[in-house]
Amino acid sequence: FYFFHGFYEEDKLVGSLATMPTNERIKAIQKMPETMKKKREIRNKVVKEITKKSRHRSTQLPCCMQCLQGRVVSFRRFGNSLSEYFRLLWVWHKTLKIIGAEFGTSVLSYFIFLKWLLTFNIFSFLINFSFITIPQFVAAEPNSLSFTGLELFTGAGYFQQTVLYYGFYTNATIGKIENGPSYNMQLAYIFTIGIYFVICFLILLFSIAKSFCRNFINPQAYSGNASKLLCTWDFNITNEKAVKLKQKNLSTQIKEGLTEVNREVLNFSVTERVVRIVIHLFSWVASLGTAVAACAGVYFLSINNLKLFVEGHRNDLESQAAMLVLPVVTSLLNAFIPFFYSWLGHLERFQTPGHQIYITITRNMVLKISIVGILCYYWLNIVAASESQCWETLVGQDIYRLVLVDFIFCLLGSFFGEFLRRIIGTTVWVSLGLPEFDIGRNVLDLIYAQTLTWIGILFSPLLPGIQMISFAIVFYVKKVSLMMNCQPPRKVWRTAQMATSFMFLLFFPSFLGVLSVIGVTVWRLKPSEECGPFRGLSSMYAAVSEWIKILENYTGSKWVVWIYYNLITSELFFFILSSLVLIITYLYWQIIEGRKTM
Amino acid sequence: MGNKQTIFTPEQLDAYQDCTFFTRKEILRLFYRYRDLAPQLVPLDYTDKPDVTLPYELIGSMPELKDNPFRQRIAEVFSADGDGNMTLDDFLDMFSVLSEMAPRDLKAYYAFKIYDFNNDDYICKSDLAKTVNKLTRNELTPEEVSLVCEKVIYEADADNDGKLSLEDFQHMIIRAPDFL
Repeated sequence: FYFFHGFYEEDKLVGSLATMPTNERIKAIQKMPETMKKKREIRNKVVKEITKKSRHRSTQLPCCMQCLQGRVVSFRRFGNSLSEYFRLLWVWHKTLKIIGAEFGTSVLSYFIFLKWLLTFNIFSFLINFSFITIPQFVAAEPNSLSFTGLELFTGAGYFQQTVLYYGFYTNATIGKIENGPSYNMQLAYIFTIGIYFVICFLILLFSIAKSFCRNFINPQAYSGNASKLLCTWDFNITNEKAVKLKQKNLSTQIKEGLTEVNREVLNFSVTERVVRIVIHLFSWVASLGTAVAACAGVYFLSINNLKLFVEGHRNDLESQAAMLVLPVVTSLLNAFIPFFYSWLGHLERFQTPGHQIYITITRNMVLKISIVGILCYYWLNIVAASESQCWETLVGQDIYRLVLVDFIFCLLGSFFGEFLRRIIGTTVWVSLGLPEFDIGRNVLDLIYAQTLTWIGILFSPLLPGIQMISFAIVFYVKKVSLMMNCQPPRKVWRTAQMATSFMFLLFFPSFLGVLSVIGVTVWRLKPSEECGPFRGLSSMYAAVSEWIKILENYTGSKWVVWIYYNLITSELFFFILSSLVLIITYLYWQIIEGRKTM
Repeated sequence: MGNKQTIFTPEQLDAYQDCTFFTRKEILRLFYRYRDLAPQLVPLDYTDKPDVTLPYELIGSMPELKDNPFRQRIAEVFSADGDGNMTLDDFLDMFSVLSEMAPRDLKAYYAFKIYDFNNDDYICKSDLAKTVNKLTRNELTPEEVSLVCEKVIYEADADNDGKLSLEDFQHMIIRAPDFL
């Protein structure tokens, strides 16, 4: 009886599999938790069932059956081998696997994040180069300046009159052929950059939503201990040392967890609590004060910088070197103040190490955001209003120097922080041991560099190309440094939550900040009179509004004009859109709350 | 695409591609890894489906598994005879489930079987004790181990029978995004 029951179940399964489309059927077979032998049997039965069915259907053409079957099979084989070649495009796949095996998934998440940011830059470089730079080459003016080697560092000099900066681009409509199609540079510039940011926004939004969906832990239902035991073993690790470390870590955690249960929650006396609050307040005041001081320093230095540039147009070595002072000071501040913050973090005794990590990361984030913010304020309010000839190129040069010096400091940081530290830790001061890879700090550096690049796209369209090269070099340097110098992390990081918070940090302060800066530049600021694609207009956006006015005269494009006036520039539309989004968000939130209680 | 290999018939390769998450190249690469463990036992021609089984000692010495504290259980779960001796089919099956392309519920199902040391379809207290010892390299005292097991069963056991069934385990996995 039991046999027949089993056969009946299997027949039902085979029948249901035979009715599915091919892709779903293959996925369903792959997902079955059976042995290979069983799966192969079921698969062969399904294939027989399908050929039986199709034979029944096409009894009119018996001779074509064989060749049709053969063609379908060979087409599928072709598709499979094509997908194999696509896997070759999984650049660095092997490297990432090795890193994950030796150091665990938390360090791997840094490298995956770096690779993800690299694709943003590659995409931006490709579209900027094809739509903005190549047409510009056609209408290029000759470059009268001479090239000295120093330009690579300062970005000024010879580079000022190349496609690297905004100022070089023409505002004309490029048309080489008489009465042929022409290329409107103004529209191309603003639309390329606009569409790039819209696509970035959508990609970031969807990545965060997907990540949140998968990784959001309902804190009430999170059964700490059971999951900790059965779910935190990282099966990816194959390095013996890493395995031993992880085991030791888990045993320490379990012991701590047990002693916590046996002990009551520490009741601090009133004086102790007051002392703790005072220490917390003091460290917050100290960290915010340092950030404010750093910003003030950067601001005064940059004003000095501007004076230097506007007054003295000397191209000698001294003034060129003086231009590098601002980026170097900014990078030094970014490199050394975090040490002060982690020392503060050790001073305050937090209740859990997780608290300490998050608060330190928050403080570092505040520092970096304030520095970028003060620089943007300086660029948009002071440089744009100054009497220099081409303020956009000035801003582009500043950003170029900042990006370059940041890259150099990143390499130096890797050298000193990891290489020298390992040498010290193994020979001179052995108790220190090997360094660990500081994930939080490195990720914040990446986000800072990417923020600068995004701000700089408007002023220097080829900047993503430079950042692309720098990220690729950083990947290799960090990988080599990691393998040679570091040990696997001792702390336990909640990897999935961490990856989500990286993307969140990238989106919220960084990307939205960049969008507001670009928005202010495009809508409010007056472009320079003598250079760039928007010379003579009242704002960069005026190019679009003028184009729409021209379009009004053509009957064929009335729909574009209609969309522009009624959707893009009308406040009613945005009001309706925002209310819809709010209503949908509220409904989703209620659904999630409802599911929680079930 | 030229079928230059003579190890498998095209139908065999198609069947493997349908039943695992691997591409043709990966299946062939895995075959060579399997063969490298014991070149004298594994023939180069699988078209007639030879019945070759490699003993557990060879499987457990693979660099991917040799430091994994659960390697013996993994081999036992995936082998046909339950002893850790694997045929090529079992080998491919094991790596298919452990690969990154396998969905989480499939991995959860097999993880449950790996942690179920006595193969009774439930993770009882003794299974958990063995798991804890493997995870912590026997560093905890027996009292600590038993305390941990009690806590885990208390938290995860939904039907209150003193042991974890597959549903309890899967329920817990859904809430834990760190499961790899």
